[in-house]
Amino acid sequence: MNFELTEEQQLIGQSAREFGKEYLEPIAVDLDHTGEYPAKIIAKLAGHDFLGLLLPAEVGGAGAGFASYVEVIENLSRYSAAVASIVNNHTIAALALELYGSPEQKKTYLPKLAKGETLGSLALFESGPTPGVGPDALTAVKHAEGWVLNGKKAYVRNAGVAGVYIVFATADPALGAKALTAFVVDSKTTGLKVGKLEETMGLKGCPVAEITFENVVLPETAVLGTVNQGQAIAAKLLSIFYVAEAAQTVGIGQAAVEHAAAYAKQRVQFGKPVAVLQAVQTMLAEVATDVHLARLGLQNAALLIEEGKPFEVEAAMIRSFLVRLGPKMMLDTCQVEGGFGYSEFMPLPRLFRDIAGTVLLDAPGDYPDKTIAASIA
Amino acid sequence: MAGIFIFSEDRALAAQLLTPALELKAALGEPLTVLALDAAQATELSTLGADKVLVVGDSATWIEGLGEPLAALVAHASVVLVGGTLRGKHLAADVAARLKTGMTTDAKAVRIAGGKLVATRILYAGLAVCDEELPLPAVVTIRARTFLAPTTTTAAAPIEQAVAKADARVTVESVTPTSTAGVDITAASRLIAVGRGFRAKDDLKLAEDLGKVLGAELACTRGIAEDEHWLPIERYIGISGQTVKPELYLAVGLSGQVQHMVGCRESKTIVAINNDERSPIFEAADYGIVGDLYEVLPLLTAALRK
Amino acid sequence: MPNCLVCYKWTLDEQDIKIKSEDLSLDSSRAKGKISDFDRNAIEEAALLVEKLGGAVAALSYGTAAVKQSLKDVLSRGPEKSYWVADASAEQADATVTATVLAAAIRKIGPFDLILLGEGSSDLFNQQTAPRLAALLGLPCLSFVNKLEVEGDVVKATRKLDDSVEVVTVKTPVVISVLSEINKPRIPSLKQVLSAAKKPNQELTVADLGLTPEDLAPKAVRKSVKGFVMQRKNIIFKETAAAANVAKLKESLASLGLS
Repeated sequence: MNFELTEEQQLIGQSAREFGKEYLEPIAVDLDHTGEYPAKIIAKLAGHDFLGLLLPAEVGGAGAGFASYVEVIENLSRYSAAVASIVNNHTIAALALELYGSPEQKKTYLPKLAKGETLGSLALFESGPTPGVGPDALTAVKHAEGWVLNGKKAYVRNAGVAGVYIVFATADPALGAKALTAFVVDSKTTGLKVGKLEETMGLKGCPVAEITFENVVLPETAVLGTVNQGQAIAAKLLSIFYVAEAAQTVGIGQAAVEHAAAYAKQRVQFGKPVAVLQAVQTMLAEVATDVHLARLGLQNAALLIEEGKPFEVEAAMIRSFLVRLGPKMMLDTCQVEGGFGYSEFMPLPRLFRDIAGTVLLDAPGDYPDKTIAASIA
Repeated sequence: MAGIFIFSEDRALAAQLLTPALELKAALGEPLTVLALDAAQATELSTLGADKVLVVGDSATWIEGLGEPLAALVAHASVVLVGGTLRGKHLAADVAARLKTGMTTDAKAVRIAGGKLVATRILYAGLAVCDEELPLPAVVTIRARTFLAPTTTTAAAPIEQAVAKADARVTVESVTPTSTAGVDITAASRLIAVGRGFRAKDDLKLAEDLGKVLGAELACTRGIAEDEHWLPIERYIGISGQTVKPELYLAVGLSGQVQHMVGCRESKTIVAINNDERSPIFEAADYGIVGDLYEVLPLLTAALRK
Repeated sequence: MPNCLVCYKWTLDEQDIKIKSEDLSLDSSRAKGKISDFDRNAIEEAALLVEKLGGAVAALSYGTAAVKQSLKDVLSRGPEKSYWVADASAEQADATVTATVLAAAIRKIGPFDLILLGEGSSDLFNQQTAPRLAALLGLPCLSFVNKLEVEGDVVKATRKLDDSVEVVTVKTPVVISVLSEINKPRIPSLKQVLSAAKKPNQELTVADLGLTPEDLAPKAVRKSVKGFVMQRKNIIFKETAAAANVAKLKESLASLGLS
């Protein structure tokens, strides 16, 4: 058993850390204030091959594995989780095409996605409880030339900046989610409208919006995978996404621990740094432990993905763990910093919001816990 | 000929080197020879305690190219002290290599113990200090103002010519002095050092106004000089910039990274003004105000003017 | 088309080094390695030169067994091949030993037109290796360079010194030490990181290089390394009202005769 990253994985992480320090740290606060999509940074990320990390070399990707990928996401998230979130959402869309795309679809999109010329986005969620159910559910009706899509997708990340959306629609409203079908939709398709950007709590700069589909006509070749395979595709992608977002959470947690520890060392009360107070030590020790254990769980799940082994249960576990502990990490580190931690002048409030953004979205209720329970029952 | 040799192309620094050199002379009981760059320097240094002065070049000499001839001159030396300018450090390392001997860079103190030279210096950009123990002969560079020049004059030592030929492979095309303002901040007894807390060049006026009241010169961090170009390069304090020891070092809007502090940590009193209570500068300060410099500086200027 | 060699040091990241409060000794047990900061500038400068002029860049390092960790790192930053000398002597090596080992290695793997180094290492910062190396190899040395131009066998360098800027020319071969201002080292892209594994590296043992135990024994021996602790009063005024803080500071300065 080996718990150490390979030299290559370490260097890839180091490259992301250097990138974060150089390009993300200086803009993170501004990005949080303005919420403006950081186009220049995304172009820079593309130049460093971060947007094609998982894609094979034949299409212009770096051909690295998922364990390397989570190293990158953790390290980018230490400096700006919003930027990491843009990368995560792009990558998951690229991965959808890599895993399920037809040769034609791959040829059209993967080279552009690998180079970052086109950004990807996953349009999975709806305002209803489950995709395919509810009044606004996106429906796909079979047509002579292909499909006609009508309805809405909610909480679409990279909305408006993505060149290609992986869209999930029900091919049969009576069957709802069971008839979920994935489509590859070019952003320029007639009838696709990106709504007003949402004002989100955290991860500001990663655009989130509703997308409306009005008689969007797609050819048969736009179907990703097969008709009615959407639910299985969504489940697989979500599982992978949990692991990617766990890396985001661990990166934010790590940044918070380091900040709080540095604060505790500097802050002198009653003639001593607060770091020597037992209550403060306990809080810091607990958070550092949570972050460390989360990282191990995350790396374990990532390695399973990289090696093509079943990973869904481990992915659900790390998700469930971080939904519970992510916010606690932030409460604890904020408490270490007392009134200062609460001040918007300090980075913790931004980290707090970013962690909320990471664990709140994409968690359809008890889904991870169901997966875990099913595996042990 | 055993002995202690000193060399610096910087006149003031050469005089300062005589202070530790005279202590080494006393400890070792060996003669002290000054290697003077030119005749003028030779005359000036001849009355500060040396036994002999050798003129090795002239003001046009490319100092760095003197390694070979100087190594021959000091071939039997016990200790060679070289002024720690960049030119001096280059030359000293070259000489040490030719003598196949050890060298301490930027020693803060030197002494003889157990027949060896012990030099105190910093490591890890100032994070740590250590003693280096070198067998004799030893080469040491010492930066400006580490020691004060001797104050007592002696009878003039004999001056001899030993003019050396510099490495002819290197051609000096031009030398452009960089000191523009002509202010030597290392000589100032009070300094106000400014950092990134200032949002614009014009805002430095707040520090200038305070400087007028306090009688202090402006200094700065590397970022202010090298990235923003708000103040000339020779005003920046730090590991690769100036080292200062004023009576008062007032640090405004700078965080106090170790690379900066190593250049000012021997100041008598350090005062910090910064809006981030967590800044390491407060740990390094005798007095500090946590607050917005834009609010604090005008108030302080007004208060001190009264 | 210059044939370049970059010498670099694999050092501990000083940010990971803690000072133990009990005895001020240094705890570097958790410190990670890194390519010494200024050596990164030397690597970048060589890479830029070769991108512009053609030619080749190799890298050379002398260190403890840990130096092996640096190979892919350095190869992801431009050089096509790396040479390394791993020997326990590096732990206590001073500039005398380092220059001796590097010179012996260069005699074996050279010659090179340009040998580039950082001005000093981020741990010891002796600033000696370049001039020493040049002296041992019988080459001219241009130190503290912040601009470098190469045309054929003529090297023109701008040196930034304490009180002046000097432009010098010299014919290759030459040893050059660079300042951090000379360039901004690249952050390797993932493809550069991944391709580093495919680039060759070659170990040179101290025996290969004909070095004796005497060659590897430092002249300058580091003793009593202690963390530097500043003794300051740490009287900090932090009332909400700035005027109150200013008044107290004025009082303190007055008591010291500094107002």
